[in-house]
Amino acid sequence: MAPALLLLLAVFALPMVQYAWLSTQAQTVLTGLEPQPVGLAQWQRLLQDGRFWQDAFQTLRFGLCSVGLELVLGLAVALLLNQPLRGRTLLRTVSLLPWALPTTVMALGWRWIFNDPFGPINLLLAQLGLPTVSFLGDPSITWLSMVWADTWKTTPFVALLLLAGLQTIPADLYEAAALEGANRWQSLRRITLPLLSPYILIAVLFRLAQALGLFDLVQVLTAGGPAGSTESLALYAYINAMRFLDFGYSATLMLAAFLLMLLLSGGAVLLWLLSRPRLAGGQR
Amino acid sequence: MNRLLLILWSLGPMLWQLYTSFRPNAALTGNPLQGGWTLEHYQSLLEGNPPFWRYLLNSGVVGLSSTLLTLVVAVPCAYGLSRLGRKTARSVNVLVAVAAAFPYVLLFLALLQVARDLHLGNNLLALSLPYTGLSLPLAILLLQASFRDIPPELEEAARLEGLGLWQRLRWVLLPLMAPAIASASLLIFLFCWNEYPIALTWLSRADLLTLAPAMARIAGSSVFTVPYGGFAAATVLGSIPLILLVLLFQRQIVSGLTQGAIKG
Repeated sequence: MAPALLLLLAVFALPMVQYAWLSTQAQTVLTGLEPQPVGLAQWQRLLQDGRFWQDAFQTLRFGLCSVGLELVLGLAVALLLNQPLRGRTLLRTVSLLPWALPTTVMALGWRWIFNDPFGPINLLLAQLGLPTVSFLGDPSITWLSMVWADTWKTTPFVALLLLAGLQTIPADLYEAAALEGANRWQSLRRITLPLLSPYILIAVLFRLAQALGLFDLVQVLTAGGPAGSTESLALYAYINAMRFLDFGYSATLMLAAFLLMLLLSGGAVLLWLLSRPRLAGGQR
Repeated sequence: MNRLLLILWSLGPMLWQLYTSFRPNAALTGNPLQGGWTLEHYQSLLEGNPPFWRYLLNSGVVGLSSTLLTLVVAVPCAYGLSRLGRKTARSVNVLVAVAAAFPYVLLFLALLQVARDLHLGNNLLALSLPYTGLSLPLAILLLQASFRDIPPELEEAARLEGLGLWQRLRWVLLPLMAPAIASASLLIFLFCWNEYPIALTWLSRADLLTLAPAMARIAGSSVFTVPYGGFAAATVLGSIPLILLVLLFQRQIVSGLTQGAIKG
């Protein structure tokens, strides 16, 4: 047991401690890549760094939108897969495929699909006589294209998680509700959602954390562009370390992203705890 | 109808890649129904330097070695945790679950430092070290749940028969856990196969790249022309192994995925 737990500490906890230390140092080309203590100067710089705030906003926007969308679509897919359909296993396999592919592989694929004007979506739009859309070239649209690609990839994960939750709900609850004259919408709201809420929470927590670490997709699909409109915190931290060789500031950014994630996860848990009595009330 | 929509949504983008990969580059900017077919994209990928299969091989090597190493480290840990009191195990598990959900991309800088200090860069087997660390949380949660599902009387009986700890694990417990081990292995392998930021920073030699960074390099290689036929062929070749894996082991992957999230 000990070796595994030690390895876990070394891989997950130690870096955070190291970042905390490194965020009080300047380690750049100017310091000869040797760390020099600078107190809280890096944090001051962070607070005044417009690019940091923009990236934080963009990362949050991406995370909230894609996780929200994945929940809605995931629930729809889970409800579909929960029905006794012909070919359900095949359907489950097919819907799992997007999740299994490497992000960088499909990000490259999406770059072609979103192409303006030769990608299939724009070909279709042109066929219909509609104007083509610059999916990857327009700062106000590109982040939505990224949400789209991420939703495509991760909806299966959310769907399977919710499906596992759906399968724990006894069928007689629905039968009883139907006898009482509840329609499908009512039984979804009063039975399915309350009983599913722990699974929804797990999915939200997990997906939110992953979405805030957005890196693979943005690097291959847009490289942060156009005009920095899709850059994420992780990508900015990466650029600081690998391109600007500014390790102290990169560590500060990563720690800031981590704190942001903790804050958001805490918020999600709080929201769930607050809504629980109300949802439980809905069961009666 | 809904089913058709789901299939189209899931497979559509992949099928378009497949279609594009057989089209001459000149035809890509014309009418999608004209322009003929070609195998040149696959040919140039497989004859490239290094040839494309090399990336798949590298990913496979890293995936297999990391999976093995993770199991070796995770099995004793999961066993130990499963024999702890519920309460202690619960608090350890909360931390392990947090680690499992952690956006590990944030770790890359610290891990890169380790690679530099210990000269582990450009070494496929060394790459399994961070991968093992990153896969451990999920493996521990999955295997622990499975250990707990085995009735303690069974192990007790084996103990009374005089079997030592190692023998009990080897002959009694692990065979019963085969499904959980299969699920865990598949998920770890998938993670390692797909992992990008660590591989990107640990590997720089072209012939050692794993699939994910190789893909990114291919994506960035052409600044002025955009050879989407070649891109598409690369995405197809890069997807085939995983598609096979999912087709063969769909059940184990799904059960691991849901179990891992729920038990954690």
